[in-house]
Amino acid sequence: MNTIIKNTIHSALLAVVVTIGVTGSAFAGTIENLERERAILIETFFSPTLSAGERNEKVAVAKHRLVDLERMVLRDSSLAGKNTPAVSKAFSNYDLTFLVHASIEKEKFILDHWLEQLGITTQSVMTARVGRR
Amino acid sequence: MFPITQNSVSGDRSLPRTILSIFALAGLLSGTLMVPISAGAATPPAETEQAPNWRPTATERLVKLPSAYLNKAVERDFKDSGLSAAIGNTNGKIRAKERTLRDFQAAMDKAEGEVLTELKHQFLAEKQAYIRLLGARQDMSRQHLETKAKIYGKILRKLGNKGSGQSSQKAKLIERQKTARQRFEGALAQVDVKIFSSGVAGESKYSAEFAKNVNAIERLIQALAKHPMNAEPELNGNPISKADYLRGLVANAEADLAILDQEESILGYMAKLVALDAMALAENLEDVTSADGGNTIVSVSSAVDFFASQ
Repeated sequence: MNTIIKNTIHSALLAVVVTIGVTGSAFAGTIENLERERAILIETFFSPTLSAGERNEKVAVAKHRLVDLERMVLRDSSLAGKNTPAVSKAFSNYDLTFLVHASIEKEKFILDHWLEQLGITTQSVMTARVGRR
Repeated sequence: MFPITQNSVSGDRSLPRTILSIFALAGLLSGTLMVPISAGAATPPAETEQAPNWRPTATERLVKLPSAYLNKAVERDFKDSGLSAAIGNTNGKIRAKERTLRDFQAAMDKAEGEVLTELKHQFLAEKQAYIRLLGARQDMSRQHLETKAKIYGKILRKLGNKGSGQSSQKAKLIERQKTARQRFEGALAQVDVKIFSSGVAGESKYSAEFAKNVNAIERLIQALAKHPMNAEPELNGNPISKADYLRGLVANAEADLAILDQEESILGYMAKLVALDAMALAENLEDVTSADGGNTIVSVSSAVDFFASQ
């Protein structure tokens, strides 16, 4: 009887280990997906081939997708303490990595927020002078 | 007094043996090894038998166990060991020996003369066996406590090593991730209102499914938190960390060892008293023997009756 109980417990523990392993691997690549979608969004902002209407439509779709991807990264427990260059870089600047969340938090348009994070403001552009470097 | 009867003959024959046994008991004072002489004395544990043992290992599984279960797991492992069985067996023998000692005490109250002397001797021998059993149990208890303190110490070190292996860069990353999550949680509702209530698009599949799962996860987390086997240890009503709990267990084992040391000195005093009692009994027996006139020359005339009766 004891042996049966022990075997059942061992099977349950094995199932837990396997489940954890599967869950861990399912989240792999969340940062890469986020980086790709963010790059596409920024490209959309500056694409000269898009009309204003097309751009707005594309940005709205990309924003929705980015919200989910940002949440996936922030909730990804497998990234906790994972000291790889990609993870380290992603968490070094919240405002740039989690662009949609940070911009809404600061009540700014995404592009404005992104440019501000890079140090490009309307004032800095207006005061800039053309010259030889 | 030893009257010359059938009993006295056997008493005479047992006398040197008694004295030898008493002197052997007196050897307790000098700490010499004693050989059980009296048939009534308990036989010591066989030297040839394999010594009972308990060798637990601080496995990773043990380190990961919840604090409340950790102590129980170690105690359960001990209960299944040969050492625990040996301690239980010795405890049984000690209880039986205590009953024997009480019986001897009761019998000595009613006995007198040679029977009383013999009972006193037997009583001393039983006390000697009793002390020997207590000593054996002390040794095994010491082994149990030392092993327990060692295993908790090992688990504590392994627990410490897990945290100490963290580099400063990793620690910084963990801190940044923690801050990011806090910031995200703070802006979550604001983002939901802005994005999903805008009317452009509804809640995404991920958000809907995640919200549904969050409820299930929260219910499971609550059940886990309430589970008695997952309860955090407490000290004076305040929750304490696993490391603190382990340090407490090590301290408890050390305290039990200190008490054991004290109990050993009590055993020493008991042994000393038995030895002194034995020496006192030996002295009395010598007095009785000389008072009995064992060495006096019997007159020839007293044997005339054996011849004149024919």
